[in-house]
Amino acid sequence: MKKFTINRFLVKLHDPRERTFFLALFGGKMLGLLACFVIVFGLPALLTSMTGKAHAQTASATSNTVAKALDAATNAIAGAAAAAPAADATPPNPPYVNPLNTMWVLVTAFLVFFMQAGFMFLEAGFARTRETVNVLLEGIVDTCLCGVLFWAFGFAWMFGSGNGFIGNQYYFLQGIPDTYGSTGVATLAYFLFQFAFADTCSTITSGAMLGRTGFWGDLWYSIGVSGFLYPIFGHWAWGPDGWLNNIKPAAFHDFAGSTVVHTIGGMIALAGAIVLGPRLGRRFKRDGGGPMPGHNMTIAAVGAVILWFGWYGFNPGSTLSAMDMQGIARVAANTTLAACSGGLASLFFVYPRSRKWDCGMTLNGLLAGLVAITCPCYWVSPGGSLIIGAVAGVFVVVATDVLEYLRIDDPCGAFPVHGVCGIWGTLSLGLFATGEFGAPTPTGADTSADALVKGLLYGGGTDQLVAQVIGNGAIGIGVFIVAMALMYAVKATGTLRISKEGELEGLDLHEHGAGAYPEQVTSSI
Amino acid sequence: MKKIEAIIKPFKLEEVKDGLHDVGVEGMTVSEVKGFGRQKGHTEIYRGSEYTVDFLPKIKIELVLPDSKVPEAVGAIIKAAKTGKIGDGKIFVFSVEEVIRIRTEERGEAAV
Repeated sequence: MKKFTINRFLVKLHDPRERTFFLALFGGKMLGLLACFVIVFGLPALLTSMTGKAHAQTASATSNTVAKALDAATNAIAGAAAAAPAADATPPNPPYVNPLNTMWVLVTAFLVFFMQAGFMFLEAGFARTRETVNVLLEGIVDTCLCGVLFWAFGFAWMFGSGNGFIGNQYYFLQGIPDTYGSTGVATLAYFLFQFAFADTCSTITSGAMLGRTGFWGDLWYSIGVSGFLYPIFGHWAWGPDGWLNNIKPAAFHDFAGSTVVHTIGGMIALAGAIVLGPRLGRRFKRDGGGPMPGHNMTIAAVGAVILWFGWYGFNPGSTLSAMDMQGIARVAANTTLAACSGGLASLFFVYPRSRKWDCGMTLNGLLAGLVAITCPCYWVSPGGSLIIGAVAGVFVVVATDVLEYLRIDDPCGAFPVHGVCGIWGTLSLGLFATGEFGAPTPTGADTSADALVKGLLYGGGTDQLVAQVIGNGAIGIGVFIVAMALMYAVKATGTLRISKEGELEGLDLHEHGAGAYPEQVTSSI
Repeated sequence: MKKIEAIIKPFKLEEVKDGLHDVGVEGMTVSEVKGFGRQKGHTEIYRGSEYTVDFLPKIKIELVLPDSKVPEAVGAIIKAAKTGKIGDGKIFVFSVEEVIRIRTEERGEAAV
């Protein structure tokens, strides 16, 4: 090895090739050094700016909470007589209200998050063996992506103030207040709750696209769905200044997201299924074929029940207030009843044609009932819920037939369940709202005349129905158009659909290197 | 009468079945099997590490035909199952002594 000398270095510099090599090497080192500097100085500055804020907030929140808890304890000890004047002295909210409501929102957020397990089970069960790993991993990666995107800008666009069409506040959760809006719920609890909703929306989509979507394509469209489509269209209805809140004569109402979560998810699912085309070898009814059966009904059935369980967070949690106790009880009961009637309606609607008690369709039927009751759950009666669910249970079967006729391959029935019944559920509020219930507030139900919601069948006229049509139509049609553009854009990159060989071999082996059940023969019979 | 036993790649089953149907084959028996030939095994991934799978999943098709139909059927299988890559499988043809349909107790070609 030759010894390095300055002379030899200078001589070498005359050679253009050596010079380029040196400059490239030197430039690389400098870039590396720069990166080190950025990491050493920039990152701590960035992190302290974030955590500093969070710390300050936590500290003040904690001291508040402690003080309030002490207050409450003292009041309790002092007895009712002493408590009454103390409560009068404090401003409108009693001290236990915010912690209690935050607790409620967090618990329901955890329940909604667990719906992810339900979706993964349901979709894996409805998939063929060869694409099981793909579906499972997609559910997980969707969740992870959605969390990061919602932190970065999803929450900002959806729940920040801006204009009627998009929010523009709280990027990277910077500058968030202690509690969100007038809810009195800790903002990060609210963020977590809404993240779980966003995640649900993006996972719905994958159900219609499984079995043939390449993993890169999955990643691209998932970023589009949970980063852009859901937050922006969601802002229209749920943003603090969304334009659908201000339409006349009645504001658009979507209690827990028949439109915002399910219609959006279902429409994107439909766009994805159309752009992808059917799985190879899928023959439709009018061509003498039929659906490809799912590989595991045990998992699918348990998945549907887990989703039902998760819905007890989805709907009752959307009150954002445990203080409205009649409200959360009514919502939970309505949710249950709609699922029951949805499942039964599907079961009995399908029975006459096949003379078989169809498990798969019953699962989708109960989910259809749940999707439909998601919007009206707060404003309708238990009897109304039964009807709403039953109609959804029929719609889901009819919609599945229509997709089959149109030769659109939706392996899980994401569009019939979430799209069609999301639309039905949103509209049903305009028919079945009883006019007795207004809105949940941090301290209880608001039943002032302005807040009450009354539907056509209860003598409320068509105002609410019109508002529901406008809201659902604007969001549903808008999101479908943008989703078609998104899917065609991903298709143009060549990553949306997997190669023919890969699809025939199965996504698991081709994309993930191994199947879900490596000790069993992978069935293709 | 001859018995054809074909071992093919699993994802070719649908095409082979359709191909055989087109040349007039009315029934077959199919089983999921594992094995290897010159292709040997392949590697799969588990938690970031590769492992070798020696026995690959294959499909075995069995059918019994009158002698006259055998060349056609063999041709159909080859046409449908061929990818030109290693691991396409093999076809075996055997002579069959007797065939009996259990329901009617018919024997010979009538029972095929």
